[in-house]
Amino acid sequence: MSSVMKIENLQVKIGDKQILKGLNLELEPGKVHAIMGPNGAGKSTLSKALVGHYDVELTGGDIIYKGKNINDMEPEERALEGIFLSFQHPVEIPGVNNAYFLRTALNAKRKHEGKEELNAAEFLRLMRDHLEMLGMKSDMISRSLNEGFSGGEKKRNEILQMLILEPEVIILDEIDSGLDIDALRAVSEGINKMKDGKRSFLVITHYSRILDYIEPDYIHVLKEGRIIKTSGPELVAQLEEHGYDAIEEE
Amino acid sequence: MNLSNLKNKNALELNTLLGIKDRDILVERFRTLGLPSKKSEEYRYFNVEKLLEQEYKTLTYVPKTLTPSDKIKIVDGVVMAAPQGMRVYSEACQQIDMDHFDPLYYLGHLLSPQTIKIELDGDAEVEIEHKFTQSDALINYRIVLYNQANRHATVYENFVAEEIKNTLVLYGYDMHIAQDSTLRVVKMQNMQNNRYAMVASHKVNVAKNANAVLKSFDLGGDQALQLLKVELAQRAHVDAGHLLYLNEDSKRGTVSQIVHVGEHSTSKQEAKNILDGEARGIFDALIRVEHSAKYTKAEQNSKAILLHEKAYMVAKPQLEIYIDELEASHGATTGQLDPKQLFYLQSRGIGYVEARKMLVIAFANTLIEQVKDSRHQERIKETFEEVFYAVHKEHI
Repeated sequence: MSSVMKIENLQVKIGDKQILKGLNLELEPGKVHAIMGPNGAGKSTLSKALVGHYDVELTGGDIIYKGKNINDMEPEERALEGIFLSFQHPVEIPGVNNAYFLRTALNAKRKHEGKEELNAAEFLRLMRDHLEMLGMKSDMISRSLNEGFSGGEKKRNEILQMLILEPEVIILDEIDSGLDIDALRAVSEGINKMKDGKRSFLVITHYSRILDYIEPDYIHVLKEGRIIKTSGPELVAQLEEHGYDAIEEE
Repeated sequence: MNLSNLKNKNALELNTLLGIKDRDILVERFRTLGLPSKKSEEYRYFNVEKLLEQEYKTLTYVPKTLTPSDKIKIVDGVVMAAPQGMRVYSEACQQIDMDHFDPLYYLGHLLSPQTIKIELDGDAEVEIEHKFTQSDALINYRIVLYNQANRHATVYENFVAEEIKNTLVLYGYDMHIAQDSTLRVVKMQNMQNNRYAMVASHKVNVAKNANAVLKSFDLGGDQALQLLKVELAQRAHVDAGHLLYLNEDSKRGTVSQIVHVGEHSTSKQEAKNILDGEARGIFDALIRVEHSAKYTKAEQNSKAILLHEKAYMVAKPQLEIYIDELEASHGATTGQLDPKQLFYLQSRGIGYVEARKMLVIAFANTLIEQVKDSRHQERIKETFEEVFYAVHKEHI
């Protein structure tokens, strides 16, 4: 099957430090790819590189998305084309209303797709069901974006954005960190709702806990800036038992 | 008239040049303070000399019969219209502050022996529109504003200019906020294209148990300075907020003195400054707590965001305190937009310019949302966007 995103020999620096050192990865449409690896392996750097974060400097390689090289594409263009990152630490933006922000983002996407923009009433109707499913209080959308949100609320808000924006490639960076079991269930339910056989997921995680809720198709082990092993879900148990040190490069 | 001719003149010469008599005390105050220059502390960051050196035509101020209107309309310093039943008339100012720090406060009074007097009855809400139609002119007028005790009045100030150029407006209020009352004054001024420059010199007396809420929204470009002196009696309160959003090479801002005279008086002064292009923002603010003002609470803060490497903020919050029994704080910060916040918005498909606008408005919002009337709040936001897009249109 042809890939929706192909990452070839990706080399990335942050500051003076080379983090990714020739990473290769292909994301298949409709599949869940989990990236696992020890601290400092480059997992978050990979997610930043894919969405065009200002911190990262591409020093080599290519990111091909739907047949197009997006190395030089601006972050907002990548988002409009359907790439979504759920942040490990979503930033708080006091003074920017959550609902206004999300409607602006949705309407930017609809405009990009040649669709009519939604007015406030239409948007609220669209959001209501999602809020209920995620167990979010309705006042959260009238508050400032992520301001004063608990860790769990921030992650639910990320998933709410994902549900509303309906991206095609979804990158979840440590989505389970800081979540209690109820929040983890709600967030996982939101993610699983998006699995429609077409969208691709890149789940970046330290631990296997989230993979009990979001069943992966592939496990990739990232170590020292490169993918050193790709396997099926059965690799999770092996990692749990023996750790990353026991994995040898293929 | 060339105002720089008033420099270093004795009282007799000033009387002759200004064509006045019997106002010796005011002349002496003006002469003592001297014509402002860049050496004057309060005008140090504002290019006042350039404005004073120009030749202006002077206008003749003839009071008009007022036409009924939903607002007070002042055209080139003359009241043309007012709401029916509202007491708006011409009268000599009875209470001039003899200890104001601004020489142009006195010059304003010397040039305008007759002031526009507005008496706000009850819980009035009124809009004052200042309109300027004359090029190359010195437009000078002063307004005396009274409200009633135990009442809560609101004034919305708005400024419009025709296609004029090189005009200087000297105006200002003497406000008398009565005991146990509240007066809210919300000023919105969008200046562009060098139509006029302005120096506004105010004096606000806040009586016992009264509240003054002064919100100023200064947007756009050009040159304008407001000089504000507030005196607080016992248990009086002032809440002074100032939003600057400047572009191009404008120089605008506030120079203020809040003087705590009465016990238990409180003040809160908050300035938010957003500076684009080569603009210079000015916040030179002093809070003075007199010996008589025990148990004062005073808070003063200025925050600035620079959107361009050539933008510049002068922030001088100062406290002058003569007693120990008080709570006082002051501070100033200057920074840039947070790149993490900007990236977060962009990562959701919001364009760079739009994302910057959202963050800039978010920064300003705490002040904008203090304007209770949603219609005026919306007008400020619309003007804000208009100014923003005028600067960033090439990137859209």
